[in-house]
Amino acid sequence: MLFLQLVINGLQLGAIYALTAVGFSLIFGATKVFHVAHGAAFTIAAYLFWWIFTVLHIAWPVAVLAAVVASVVFGLAMERFIYRPIQRHEGAFFTVFIAAFGVQIIIQNLTGSVFGRGFASVTTSLSHSVEVLPGLFVAPIAWISLLIALVVFTALSLYLSRTHTGMAMRALSENPDLIRVFGLDPGRVAQCAFGIGSAMVVPGAILTSMTAGLNPAIGAHVMLISLAATIVGGIGSLRGAACGGFLLGLAENLALWRLDPQWSEAVTFVVLFLFIIFRPSGFFGRPQAAK
Amino acid sequence: METYIINLLVLISINAILAVTLNFILGYAGIFSIAHALFFGVGAYAATFAAMKLGLDFTGATAFGMLLAALISLALALPALRVRGEYFVAASLGLQMLAITVFTEWKSVTGGIGGLTNIPPARIFGFTLTQPEHYLVLSLACLLAIILIIRALVRSSFGRSLKALRDDEAAASAFGKNVSVIKTSAVVLSSALAAVAGSLYASYLSFINVESFVLETSIQLMAMVIIGGTATLFGPVVGAVLIILLPAGLSYIPHLPATEIGSIQQIIYGLAMVLLMIFRPGGLWGFQENPKAHA
Repeated sequence: MLFLQLVINGLQLGAIYALTAVGFSLIFGATKVFHVAHGAAFTIAAYLFWWIFTVLHIAWPVAVLAAVVASVVFGLAMERFIYRPIQRHEGAFFTVFIAAFGVQIIIQNLTGSVFGRGFASVTTSLSHSVEVLPGLFVAPIAWISLLIALVVFTALSLYLSRTHTGMAMRALSENPDLIRVFGLDPGRVAQCAFGIGSAMVVPGAILTSMTAGLNPAIGAHVMLISLAATIVGGIGSLRGAACGGFLLGLAENLALWRLDPQWSEAVTFVVLFLFIIFRPSGFFGRPQAAK
Repeated sequence: METYIINLLVLISINAILAVTLNFILGYAGIFSIAHALFFGVGAYAATFAAMKLGLDFTGATAFGMLLAALISLALALPALRVRGEYFVAASLGLQMLAITVFTEWKSVTGGIGGLTNIPPARIFGFTLTQPEHYLVLSLACLLAIILIIRALVRSSFGRSLKALRDDEAAASAFGKNVSVIKTSAVVLSSALAAVAGSLYASYLSFINVESFVLETSIQLMAMVIIGGTATLFGPVVGAVLIILLPAGLSYIPHLPATEIGSIQQIIYGLAMVLLMIFRPGGLWGFQENPKAHA
């Protein structure tokens, strides 16, 4: 029963990682920007939701909408004011990475100063565990997490395969020059990728505020795990990022079966490290990682 | 007041050692590690272990720390050889996070969260360092020695090979450079020299715990190198001076709530990283020594 309990907890956590990782992967695939500040969008969305819902006591749809708007605006602003000016000079991975890290540091500390450095969480009846089988406790939020992940991933794959912009986004990751030949503006497609990718942190951010709770460093933490998930799944593969997210969520929880809780994060990074050494292209990635 | 300034200078020298050694792989070899605090930590814990349990003096304890750091750094060299940019960053991140857990949980050696206290003062050639001034002399001497070593290496054929690898690995390999050996030696050397800073730090403060060796430390060191200027000899030193003096300087600004100083400091260097990357990717010092260093 403990095993089943850990699997369910792992899937719930994995859904959050998968959502964040797919957003990151979408942005990386379309723009080749290693958007480490993706975690900052997560922090912004989570804290804004928490503030509007529990401090201002405004209805949740408003809080969700505000979180979506804030994260999309953040993503677009990053693209427009940070990444584009840097890439105009030279697109060095290095330079982009440092700038994104700088933004992450700024947002994390601003969040601490504005909303407080303590622990913040949203309590709803959804996070109370119910005994579904003898000895197996599941909160409704676990099913909701999985359902949301399913809906978002289905919507995203429909968007990428059926709509014009979605197809352009996939084309951009394959061959940026071809996009220009077809008379599309790569800049606009990149903006779309940033907008959609950033919006995808919102469900994970809200679910985290209801389950594990928030602190100003939460975005950085989730980002590190999502980065790991993206690499384990194979950079550039959305399906891989989603699977990687679930795998790491499961690994983190199943580790509790044999190890003390303080080792669970280490397990994640051991998995990441082994993947980088032995299978750098991940589950689904093409062998582009090796030099 | 005098002790306060000496204390700052010692901390600056220790951080400058870390920044200079990080720059050796980051700036000259293009190996973008965010696990440098790990080797700082290994140096500190190993030297403390050697001093307290094995009774070694400062040179012996430091050598022990360097040896251990060099061995562990092979784990960092492995991904550096196999994968490119983004993947290596992630691999070094994995090692750093793993190290934090080990530093926290291996209680018999590291003292866990509480850390190790009552670390004996450094003994060197029979002389025991008791005053802060003694440590200032020792840490400045170490910094100078390390800068000279790196200067000599960078100007040697080894240094030219490193830069060749950074700029175009395939071309360097085609010219008969042994990529694996060059990269591995760079990582091992940089990590072993970083352990010197750890040994100095432990014996100077006589207290260490995991807080000093976390991911934030690695990022702060990276910020020193970037802000000062990658692939320059003195850029990282300038970066270390600026970043260590920043909180001290901020504490002189009136009406600034003490609880916010940490945040404001972090926001300032976050901002500095962003603005520099947009307007001057070579760093503050970068333009003087080698304008093409970042190309």
